Amino acid sequence: MQILIVEDEASLMESMVSYLELEGFRCEKAGDYHTAVCVLDKHDYMCMLIDLNLPGGDGLELVKLARENQTESGIIIISARDTIEQRVEGLEAGADDYLVKPFHLSELVARVHSVARRTRMKGGEVLSFGVISVLPEEHTCFVNQNQVELTRKELDMLMFLMANRNRVVTKESIADYLWGEYGGGYGSYDFVYTHLKNLRRKLQDAGCPDYVQNIYGIGYKFSLDKSP
Amino acid sequence: MKLLTKSSLLIATLSLFLFFIMGIIFFQVLKNMSMSDLNRELGDLKELVEDHIENYKANQIIALPGIDSLSIEHMELDENPGEVFGDTLMYDAKEDQYKTYRFIQFYSVKGDAGFQVKIYKSTTPTDQLVERVTLMMTLMVILFLAGIFILNRFIFASLWKDFFEAIEKLKQFETSKEPVILGEQDIEEFEELKQVLEVMTRRLAKDYKELKEYTDHTTHELQTPLAVIKSKTELLIQSENMGASEMKCLQAINTSVNQLSRLNSTLTLITRIENRQFTEKEEIKLTELLDRHLELLEEHIDLRGIKVEKSYQDEGMVLFMDQGLADLMIGNLLKNAIAHNIEGGNIILETRPGSLLIRNDGPPLGFDQEELFTRFVRDTKQTGNFGLGLSLVKKVCEHYNFLIKYSFDNQQHSFNLTLKD
Repeated sequence: MQILIVEDEASLMESMVSYLELEGFRCEKAGDYHTAVCVLDKHDYMCMLIDLNLPGGDGLELVKLARENQTESGIIIISARDTIEQRVEGLEAGADDYLVKPFHLSELVARVHSVARRTRMKGGEVLSFGVISVLPEEHTCFVNQNQVELTRKELDMLMFLMANRNRVVTKESIADYLWGEYGGGYGSYDFVYTHLKNLRRKLQDAGCPDYVQNIYGIGYKFSLDKSP
Repeated sequence: MKLLTKSSLLIATLSLFLFFIMGIIFFQVLKNMSMSDLNRELGDLKELVEDHIENYKANQIIALPGIDSLSIEHMELDENPGEVFGDTLMYDAKEDQYKTYRFIQFYSVKGDAGFQVKIYKSTTPTDQLVERVTLMMTLMVILFLAGIFILNRFIFASLWKDFFEAIEKLKQFETSKEPVILGEQDIEEFEELKQVLEVMTRRLAKDYKELKEYTDHTTHELQTPLAVIKSKTELLIQSENMGASEMKCLQAINTSVNQLSRLNSTLTLITRIENRQFTEKEEIKLTELLDRHLELLEEHIDLRGIKVEKSYQDEGMVLFMDQGLADLMIGNLLKNAIAHNIEGGNIILETRPGSLLIRNDGPPLGFDQEELFTRFVRDTKQTGNFGLGLSLVKKVCEHYNFLIKYSFDNQQHSFNLTLKD
């Protein structure tokens, strides 16, 4: 589970490494273009996170190079460049996903999982957590082998929580991940609460214990162990 | 008015005026010349008649070569009144009409007999000549004018060719942002124009590029520290040994940094629109756009129990604009209609030919409605909303020359978007 992180901002790199290592990933760090090129072949990476503004070279070139070298790896661009043209350019260079800075670390983790699923497992994977199992490709969810009918948003939310298991995820990060630009600007994140409430109810109705903890109003934690 | 039309019109009016004046002068001069010719001829005839006056009988009209009519009367006068010229009408029995004649009247004494003599000469031949010459001249003038017109077109086209080329290139500058460099000019003024344009567009292109880089740079420079704060906060939240009060602090930091990054990206977007960095245009069906956004906002609409009423009178209404900006404009208008609505309120969408009306229930504004579209204005009751959505809408409208108007009546906010042509 190696991840290559190419990012020139040491502080941000630090945060990403800490968070990803909490999730059980091992990280290879590169602070500039040339270091990145050197370590490109060092491991068989599950995913590569590449910043576009790099000292010593163009991030897009690095993306192209990485795509040639490691065809099986997922590539996520992390950049402050946020226009549609720039995103298209990035995806055309060979990236699988494009995350605009500043992002939530929980969102990064969810995307890493999702990209890895798409490139590595070719989708045929079962995600499980306690009594819950999710087939991402078929958009179905089971609790103790019984199928639970979830809406698309509820399933996405469940998968987001599962990717960030045992972590506190903020309401903002859920809103941003699930609704993108439509997530903010309403003055409250009540809709996140409402959707989560529905999800919890459906899971509990199917016989699943409540894995969600409310953490001081800041967000939620999805874990098997209910004691905070 | 086109340059060619304008110059043709100017040439036409000026030359018509000129030729009219010239024509009058020419006619008068010709008339006077033929008159003095007649007078001289009559003077010659007078000498001829005087030489042989004793041969003529009084009151007898004799035809002499060159004389149309002659009258001689015996008259005893003490003083010679000299010669008098005049015009008169005489009846021509042959053609059954009056004709004009020029005459000379003089007094002649031969021996002791005095004679009053009048010699007449018809003016018809000279009048006819003047008429014909005038007609010829008019025809010539018309032909000349037509020639000038056609020539003007050719000269115009070849003279101004480079000028029109320059205009075309300048039009392309808006999208290409490449300096306008024209070919070699043989006209001095155009050479100057070429140089001025080149210097100007070079500077514009450079400014544009620098501004773009600056915006890019600023975004990057701001987004990175924001990303650091955001990620560090998130890491801290994961920490096991945080108490309730520390978490409260973290929540405040988290909320603010999220607002700040939203604000930063919105301001960047406004700057981009102001810098006219959106030049792509495509046809977008308004009703499809509205429906798509309603679907995306469905959860927010349902959550607040809002009812949406659609009345699409103009199903085929098309916007011709950048897709991203269209999404931004409609998305923000709809988000606004949801955010400032009441529980279980209504949103009414109406499309009419050339306009879109979005109405929503809600309490009146807590501030002057003039300030609605300006940055950083927000309802004091709302938190976390920087009110930038509507200034974005306004910017997009300005960019495409759309008109957006706000009004409040019947406890309903209404936004009227009109597409100007």
